[in-house]
Amino acid sequence: MTTEKKLKRTVPALNKYKLKSVGANIVVSIFRYVLLIAISYIILYPLFAMIGYSFMSKADMLDTSVTWIAKRGTFENYKVAWEALEYPTSLLNTITIHLVSAVLEIFSCAVAAYGFARFKFKCRGLLFGIVLFTAIVPVQILVIPLFLNYQYFGFGYIVNLLNMIPGVEIPYISLTDTPFTFWLPSLFGAGLRSGLFIFIYRQFFIGLPKELEEASWIDGCNPLMTFFRVVIPSSGVVFLTVSIFSIIWHWNEYYQSVIFFNETLPLSVVLSGVRSLKLENMGYREQFAAPGVSASCLLFMAPILIMYLFLQKKFIQSIDRVGIVG
Amino acid sequence: MKKDKNVELEANTTEERKPTLSEILKAEEAELKAQKKAEKAKRKAKYAYDINGNIIPDLDVKHVKGIESKKSWYGFYFILPWLIGLVLFFLIPLISSLTYAFSDVTPEPGYMDTTWVGLENYRYIFDSSDTYQKALLGSIGDFVLQLPIIVIISLILALILNSNFKGRTFFRGVFFVPVIVAAGVIMGLLTQSYGENGPIIQLSSTVAADAYSTVGTGGGLDVTELLTSLELPADITEQLSSLITDIFNTIWSCGIPVVLFIAGLQTIPAQLYEASKVEGATTWEEFWYITLPSIGQTLLLVIIFTLIELLTKSDNEVINLAYAQITNVEYGLSSAMLWLFFAIIGVITGLIILIFSKTCLKRWE
Repeated sequence: MTTEKKLKRTVPALNKYKLKSVGANIVVSIFRYVLLIAISYIILYPLFAMIGYSFMSKADMLDTSVTWIAKRGTFENYKVAWEALEYPTSLLNTITIHLVSAVLEIFSCAVAAYGFARFKFKCRGLLFGIVLFTAIVPVQILVIPLFLNYQYFGFGYIVNLLNMIPGVEIPYISLTDTPFTFWLPSLFGAGLRSGLFIFIYRQFFIGLPKELEEASWIDGCNPLMTFFRVVIPSSGVVFLTVSIFSIIWHWNEYYQSVIFFNETLPLSVVLSGVRSLKLENMGYREQFAAPGVSASCLLFMAPILIMYLFLQKKFIQSIDRVGIVG
Repeated sequence: MKKDKNVELEANTTEERKPTLSEILKAEEAELKAQKKAEKAKRKAKYAYDINGNIIPDLDVKHVKGIESKKSWYGFYFILPWLIGLVLFFLIPLISSLTYAFSDVTPEPGYMDTTWVGLENYRYIFDSSDTYQKALLGSIGDFVLQLPIIVIISLILALILNSNFKGRTFFRGVFFVPVIVAAGVIMGLLTQSYGENGPIIQLSSTVAADAYSTVGTGGGLDVTELLTSLELPADITEQLSSLITDIFNTIWSCGIPVVLFIAGLQTIPAQLYEASKVEGATTWEEFWYITLPSIGQTLLLVIIFTLIELLTKSDNEVINLAYAQITNVEYGLSSAMLWLFFAIIGVITGLIILIFSKTCLKRWE
């Protein structure tokens, strides 16, 4: 009897509460969607605008009624952009310089980070502090000495030291305009934002269960073999995250490339000068610049954009699991 | 003679007196050492070898200890490539760049001919014109303003994106787009092609406004048009449109911070929230007492990261000025410009991190 009464009293109250929370939920979710859609619009707008512009012919640029979609659409802009960027050559340059460098960096950073994560040695804390320091120092500050180092490459300053001895004169090798300017630092874990990558890897490796590695130790693997056979196969997630970041940042790299390369120009450098050097001579002046520039930008982004579209879902899941936090 | 006497005396006393405690201990220690030596020799002799000639490890405790000490060497091997890279491609360039900042530099094959001039470079930079001064102040002002705004906005966005709702994956995907598209080169080009008042808004506002008056192209969102149609005073219109430009730029800088924050939020164990719900905590309290303290480290990472992003943005005037000096082969001036800028930023950052870790992180942990 009493329980029934209690139930009768509480159930409407519960319903009321439920209704209230459902109402609040709806308001919250509407607010959320409005905010997210607004921000997505801001983010995607330039992309869509670029795509829209890239198909516009000159007649469309003059037409007031054309806002988004070209009425007299044309692929002419892409053709011109393709030529202006010298697309096949520059793309090949970018791949040999930056993509290879990215791959090297992905592995060298993992090796260093594994050392920091699993082994105790002298000055480990101090050295890891230096890793973080390298992540913070902007590359612009290093660019002149680095350029000099590559222009007159002395195999890690060995030749420079030998040449200090009077009478000795060993000729230098010039590495500028060769991919080595990016390969070498990447190989030694000092490439583009390597400090950040070492940090991300280390946080992940620390979280890996030690038992697997210990088992492989007992089975007679040395640490290097353990790293390649046990650790790498079980850390696909962090490798994916770092790969995507590394490839994108390498692809967009400009500040060093513009200094190190004079002839074998990667896409980013060609693109930076495409308007003033190429398109203007091809009849894309002033108000007509937008279509040509948009098409060039899209051609530049296309490979990584496609890569990202394919990997997007996996990448976002992986970021959930990497746990970049300390 | 004296020596002999002493020896005699000592011999006498040791014979007569009972050995003291320390002496006993010493003797025991020596015995132990001898034992250990013997064991070591034994172990060395006892090693078994497999077909390839490798030592087969037995599971003796002492033997495992040997591996442990070896392990530290392995750690060293693992970071050795990085150490070489650090010296060759970071430390040496860093130090040389610092010396360039205080020197008169002329490039020679293989080295830079530097003569120490002290603060002469800086005197020249500040005396010759006030462009650098303006660029420096402007950049630092932007930096101090934008850093907290970006961190706070991206935290809010990450919190929203981390909650459960339909289309979550899609929106997360969208938020990463700026990382790809906002490459320095592209932004620079868009600024060039669409005007000078900020790259993103340019596409929508000024270019559209210009285009309407001269050529007649449309854009989607037309802010300037909208503002001018309100017939506000020109000053206010300008302020508003620059504010909107800032919003656009800020949201575009939020890409990676949002991603990092989401990663950090994912690591908070769900039990904490369940427990707090049982205790009757409100969402607000949950945020202050669970979420924020748990992502303290991420917050630090995001601050550092945003900082680097802001520093190396393509429209940073100081960097552009310094790069112009590089093309003039004025390496000393260029280094001096960059070092002063980064030193100031470094001090600000150091202070932020110090205050942050002293007050927030300490309390949260």
